[in-house]
Amino acid sequence: MRGQENKLFAHIDWGLLSVYFILVFLGISNVYSSVFDPDKAGLFNLDTEHGKQIMWFGVALFLGLIIFFLESNFIRKYAYWFYGFTMLLLIAVLFTKPIHGAKSWFGFGGVGIQPSEFAKIGVALALARFIDQNSSSKESRSIKNASGLSTLWGIIPFIAKNKETALIIGIPCALVLLQPDAGTFIVFTSFILVLYREGYAGNILLFLVISVIIAVITLLVADTNFMLLFTKIKLSGNAGIIIVLVVLVGLFAAIIRSFVMKRNRKPLYRSLIGSFLVAVIFVNFVEIGYTNILQTHQKERIDLLLGKIDDPDGKGYNINRAKAAIGSGGFMGKGFKSATLANASQRHVPMQSTDFIFCTWSEERGFVGAFVLVGLYTFLLLKMVIMAERQRSVFTRVYAYCVASIFFYHFMINIGMAIGLAPVIGIPLPFFSYGGSSMMSFSVLIFILLKLDSERKVVLQ
Amino acid sequence: MRNIENRKYVIALIFLIIPLIFIVRLFYMQVVDSKWKERAAQISENRITTYPARGIVYDRNGVKIISNEVYYDIHVIPKQATNTDSVALTKLLGISMDDYVAKMNKARNYSRRKPSELVRQIPPNEFSVIAPELYKYPGFFEVARTLRVYPKKIAAHVLGYMNEANGNDIEKDSYYKSGDYIGRSGIEKMYEKELRGQRGVKYYLQDAIGLSTGKYENGDYDTLAVQGQNLSLSIDWELQAYGEKLMQNKLGSIVAIEPATGEILAMISAPTYDPNLLVGRHLGSNYGALAEDTLLPLQNRCLNSAYPPGSIFKTVMALIGMQEGVITENASFPCNKALAGCHDHPTAMNVSDGVKMSCNPYFIQLVRRIIQQGKDKSIFKDAAIGLDIWAKYVRSFGIGTDLHVDYPTNVHGNVPDAAYYDKHLNFRWAFSTIQSIAIGQGEVLITPLEMANLAAILANRGYFIPPHFIKSMDQREIPEIYRTKKYTMVDSAYFEPVIDGMWRVVHEGGGTARRARLDSIEVCGKTGTVENFKRISGKVYQLTDHSNFMAFAPRDNPQIAISVFIENSGFGGTWSAPLASLMIEKYITGTVADTAKENRILNANLIPDADDIIRK
Repeated sequence: MRGQENKLFAHIDWGLLSVYFILVFLGISNVYSSVFDPDKAGLFNLDTEHGKQIMWFGVALFLGLIIFFLESNFIRKYAYWFYGFTMLLLIAVLFTKPIHGAKSWFGFGGVGIQPSEFAKIGVALALARFIDQNSSSKESRSIKNASGLSTLWGIIPFIAKNKETALIIGIPCALVLLQPDAGTFIVFTSFILVLYREGYAGNILLFLVISVIIAVITLLVADTNFMLLFTKIKLSGNAGIIIVLVVLVGLFAAIIRSFVMKRNRKPLYRSLIGSFLVAVIFVNFVEIGYTNILQTHQKERIDLLLGKIDDPDGKGYNINRAKAAIGSGGFMGKGFKSATLANASQRHVPMQSTDFIFCTWSEERGFVGAFVLVGLYTFLLLKMVIMAERQRSVFTRVYAYCVASIFFYHFMINIGMAIGLAPVIGIPLPFFSYGGSSMMSFSVLIFILLKLDSERKVVLQ
Repeated sequence: MRNIENRKYVIALIFLIIPLIFIVRLFYMQVVDSKWKERAAQISENRITTYPARGIVYDRNGVKIISNEVYYDIHVIPKQATNTDSVALTKLLGISMDDYVAKMNKARNYSRRKPSELVRQIPPNEFSVIAPELYKYPGFFEVARTLRVYPKKIAAHVLGYMNEANGNDIEKDSYYKSGDYIGRSGIEKMYEKELRGQRGVKYYLQDAIGLSTGKYENGDYDTLAVQGQNLSLSIDWELQAYGEKLMQNKLGSIVAIEPATGEILAMISAPTYDPNLLVGRHLGSNYGALAEDTLLPLQNRCLNSAYPPGSIFKTVMALIGMQEGVITENASFPCNKALAGCHDHPTAMNVSDGVKMSCNPYFIQLVRRIIQQGKDKSIFKDAAIGLDIWAKYVRSFGIGTDLHVDYPTNVHGNVPDAAYYDKHLNFRWAFSTIQSIAIGQGEVLITPLEMANLAAILANRGYFIPPHFIKSMDQREIPEIYRTKKYTMVDSAYFEPVIDGMWRVVHEGGGTARRARLDSIEVCGKTGTVENFKRISGKVYQLTDHSNFMAFAPRDNPQIAISVFIENSGFGGTWSAPLASLMIEKYITGTVADTAKENRILNANLIPDADDIIRK
């Protein structure tokens, strides 16, 4: 018994565990400052958000302990079961009463559970399990004769070949979108990073980056007008983009002609024309999607991000207040409980204990504090990559990358939106944003990772 | 080729680059760019201006004649104003439904959570009816502010009024902001800088709705509002009130000065009005009504109207003649009615007689000697020389010059000189052309203040102190000019014969002002009956004469110098003289003995009808 216990805790990665505890501790103290109510000054007061956060942390620790006493095989065996369970929760939540316009919460007398948080764990486990079991062919993981944007033509057959993966990720995506919760939906796209690591088409990443660039340019330029150089013809921004694309095509064609050998040219030309067509379709899709599919408030958020509208006291209220709080922190910050914007009594920053929790931290700790926090998260992410790469088990490696991707997305979008580099999407900052479900789910993700990692030296069964 | 193993480096790179971009952005936002600190201050801090109480104005005996009173604005926070019974509310507040709807819409457009003004400046008596009902209308509340109140309801012209600062005011003095009040006339304007005090400011921290959550930096940057300076005026409020009462139903002016100091004891311009009319939310409509009144109640006749002086001017003529040496005090001239009309009286044998009997030919002959001194062979050039000498003398009596009274607007009389007649007459002129100036008619014009000042000069036997309203100020001395004697060009010795004549005007039989006689006080005065004309539809009509009287009392150690001018009412001795004596008696003894005389004046309605004014 003893020996086994020693073994249990022997190979735990203390680095990861320490960073976890540090983040939780800093997070709780930050929530404390953000919602400090002199009437309920006690740290552990269950009436306050920080008190509740501590309680949730306690629950998470308890869950962590349970996880540690499980066999890692158990986790592996029941991965699909857990996934199925969380999918059922996602379906069930659709039948609850909408809160703030979305059906995302189960309420139990004062506390709420968000099933989409746990669905992330389910997807991670299921994906890891599936990839572990099906080391499918290189063939099926690639997109046929595609480069650049003409990748798009290969997407449908690609999805068809990898239908299980698509389903594992796709089902929760659809269910979450039905709630509707666009923010969490976007987090599910983080699994692309995992797929990339596991050898699925790398073009996807490039494809994504180029599409984002084109989308941004389209949105910025499409509804403006400009005069064609040296002439007096007035054209819409739309037409301008097309012209630029044509010029680019010409340019690339010339490059291919000059630098590539004749026999290799044809497929490249095909990709070029294919990319051009995709780009044109995509530009129009973006415009139509923006005008017709996006809801008003989502359109506004994108406009605010791109700088098309500047309405600091109206539509841009949230982001303006958030940036002001962060920016006014200066180098050293204003001190614990001394924020003037993101503080408990004046509450200039909306949702300052949840989505914009980064503001309280930055305003109080300044650039130094922000740097430390970003550094801690970066350390966390890189640690997870290192842990992933040292695994012999494919299951654990895939799972580790899933965890890293999820954390990366939350971190990137939450902090990015607070500093004005990402549109305002309400997703929590792990261990900092107040929330029971997220505290538990992020903790569980890490505990499972620690457990799986601690058994990395065990021979696979 | 695709080397899957290397992809971990790509991912790690992404995990490094994104945070790095964030760090750079954070550094820029927090350390380099100061605009966010400013924006943060803008969001979380605010300031509120505190307004000082305006200075109080006292009369010469320490009685408050301008004070401050609390008025009420009604404000509304649209978010809290749900289910308002607007019909009842508009009735309670005394506003129209249209006005209410328009203001509520404006308030909602401005901010649902911040207050907007709905009704402004409700006087305290009206508010006492509204206050107990206001609780029934959630979201509506009162904000107190102080406005002026004139407790004695007197001296509207002297004290002036206030209204909102306009673009011009703000441009001239950046102290003022839109919505501030500023003195617009009278003392309120003249001493605006002293009375207005200094605004204070409180800096506070505010929350997301704009409500205050505490002081900024413990109030270290706050400044206290500084109360406006209090002023004491020379006005005697009881005398002023009495004069306004006596002048009811008459048009004209009374000015009373203390000769030894130049302090103005009373200044009444009739018709007058209650100065409280021009305060608060009814200012606009009240001002409009006053401005349309054809009797011109807003005009301060004492300072802004000039009339021919009539016979009171003869006192000056005699003094100039003696000083210039063209006559002595024993000069005698026959009452040659060919020169000018005159009533029947014994021949004036000396200056004192001339003054007592107010003989027109006497003074015409007297003044001819001044103007035609034979210094030039041409009577025209001679007249010009003489006239300029004459004009210089007259101006030294403060007539036709700037007396530097502390009042924002005033006119002065007209003293014609050679240049004047050269300009206005297109033919050559000599004394005979202009001789009516000798008897205070013609082109000579004088303001009631100048007339009272003349009475003061006579009281002082040869000098005056520039008349003024200010008696004392909290924080500075009154200007030097108000403490300095100004001498006329006539020696003190020559005043006795004229004063003797003035005494006989009142106290001797045959004097024109026997109605000014008082049992206990020796009054010295001079009447004037002023001819005046008007052009109506192209034709010139002569109107009823103005009644004019100037006096000082008592003869020795005079305490009061006074001028009473009643338009279009008749002889100087009939109306102005008795009224002046009532004022003198009231001031010196505190009561009036002859109530019959008092009642006669009180009950006299001397406001002319449109055709009454034509002289019959």
